[in-house]
Amino acid sequence: MWHALRAELAYFRPWLLGGLGIAAGVVMILSVLMRFLDEADGPPIFVVAIFPIIAGMVVSFIAQSYRIEERRARLLLSGPLTPRQLAAVTVLLPACFVGLSAIAVPLMIGLAALVAGKLEPVTLRIVGGFVVQFWAYAQLGPLAQESTAARRQRRGRAAIVGWAVFVSVILVLSASQFFLQSIQGHLWQAVAVVAAMGVAAALYQGRTDFTR
Amino acid sequence: MNDQRPETTTAARLFGLTKRFPGFQLGPLDLTLDPGTVLALVGPNGAGKTTTLNCMAGLVVPDEGGTEVYGAPVQPTRTEYRRDVGYVGEESGFFQRWTARRNLDFLAKQIPEWSRERARRLSERIALPLDTPVSKLSRGNRTKLAIVAALAHGPRLLLLDEPTSGLDPVVRAEVLDVLWEITEDGDHAVLYSTHVLSDINRLADELAFLRDGELVLRTGRDELSESWRQVSFRLRDEDVELSGIVEYRRVRAEHQVITRDAPATLQQLTELGAEAVEVSRMSVDEIAVQILKEGHHVARASG
Repeated sequence: MWHALRAELAYFRPWLLGGLGIAAGVVMILSVLMRFLDEADGPPIFVVAIFPIIAGMVVSFIAQSYRIEERRARLLLSGPLTPRQLAAVTVLLPACFVGLSAIAVPLMIGLAALVAGKLEPVTLRIVGGFVVQFWAYAQLGPLAQESTAARRQRRGRAAIVGWAVFVSVILVLSASQFFLQSIQGHLWQAVAVVAAMGVAAALYQGRTDFTR
Repeated sequence: MNDQRPETTTAARLFGLTKRFPGFQLGPLDLTLDPGTVLALVGPNGAGKTTTLNCMAGLVVPDEGGTEVYGAPVQPTRTEYRRDVGYVGEESGFFQRWTARRNLDFLAKQIPEWSRERARRLSERIALPLDTPVSKLSRGNRTKLAIVAALAHGPRLLLLDEPTSGLDPVVRAEVLDVLWEITEDGDHAVLYSTHVLSDINRLADELAFLRDGELVLRTGRDELSESWRQVSFRLRDEDVELSGIVEYRRVRAEHQVITRDAPATLQQLTELGAEAVEVSRMSVDEIAVQILKEGHHVARASG
């Protein structure tokens, strides 16, 4: 399983690097603008941190659509992988993309600070809150895909559960926006991420068709 | 070949295999495939050939019944059967931007039974351009890559899902050559789905005709070409019933029939004193067309 996950990450590395490059470009432009506008505090740190995370999220959506289009499950099921391991690869990929993008956050902050002169400080908790928020959005991709697959495969109950969890996760994430500074807000975000990953993995294992 | 694999007399067995889709039902199918046999699954588009092969490869879970490959049950959650199955389909799931070589390397690390030596020999034998990205490979070369990927772990059962569909005649002949070379040693049991009827002559020992999800006839290729004939004759008595007739035409005084039981029909014609009897052989393609046109009727008549 880890070999398959590593291969997928290597395959989509150019997209991730490209996405992070675009994010760096946006951060640079923003920082230069702020400097010209002579904003006293510079761009807020959480704004700078958001762009690489968004890049990771977008790349996870791109990877998901390519994996479907290229019928990756067919290739992976020719070896000894089980549907459970395939499900793990599917739900771990978004987490890996967002995680790898998070590594670029300090670099982006440094870059913005260099160009803008200084940044408006915010608490680490807010930055963390935004990171988890976008990670949760990234995990919604596989959940939506598996809920749709369940409906197509006439697994009505599984499809209903999938879409119910999808809507619930969005509601929880929307509500947690107002509590980004509190531990409770972060806990609810974590619950949303775990629920999206767990239900997507469970739906994948229950597939009756692995041709896509 | 792995010596630890169980020796069974049946390469693949389908028992009551049923899969339902809105507006279509495959099966229930019962079919066995002996080791060393090349069985062509023949049928028009939408007959259920691909679904049958997907069920046999463990990519689709049947609603009822099941499949066994060399005695091992085929289920996505079990992996034992996969070492014996090589699958060549229209879509094989390759990493499109990677080269053929990199895809094969990936599989070599992924599949324990994979033989790099076998993959290398096969690639050389079929002249596969290993250093071209899969997305830039021609359709024929993609099929060749799928063949290498399907065979490098030494499976005993090869599932071929319309491998020549959409190929131009030259590449089609090339791919058929490759498949013929691979299957002629008799080491592989092959289930070959096709609606390109001219492929049948080259590869298949046996034929299974599928129509609207139902198996209408299974027979040996030679048996089929021996029993089907086109016969023209003249007969004074107009009101007779001949056995085995699938198609009848009358051109002026001459009767023209297609029979699926040539010896019986000719015997009857002799007894009835038919004149100007002319018998001509039919190609397997022509016979297949007749069977698929008259599927249910032929199945009942021959059953």
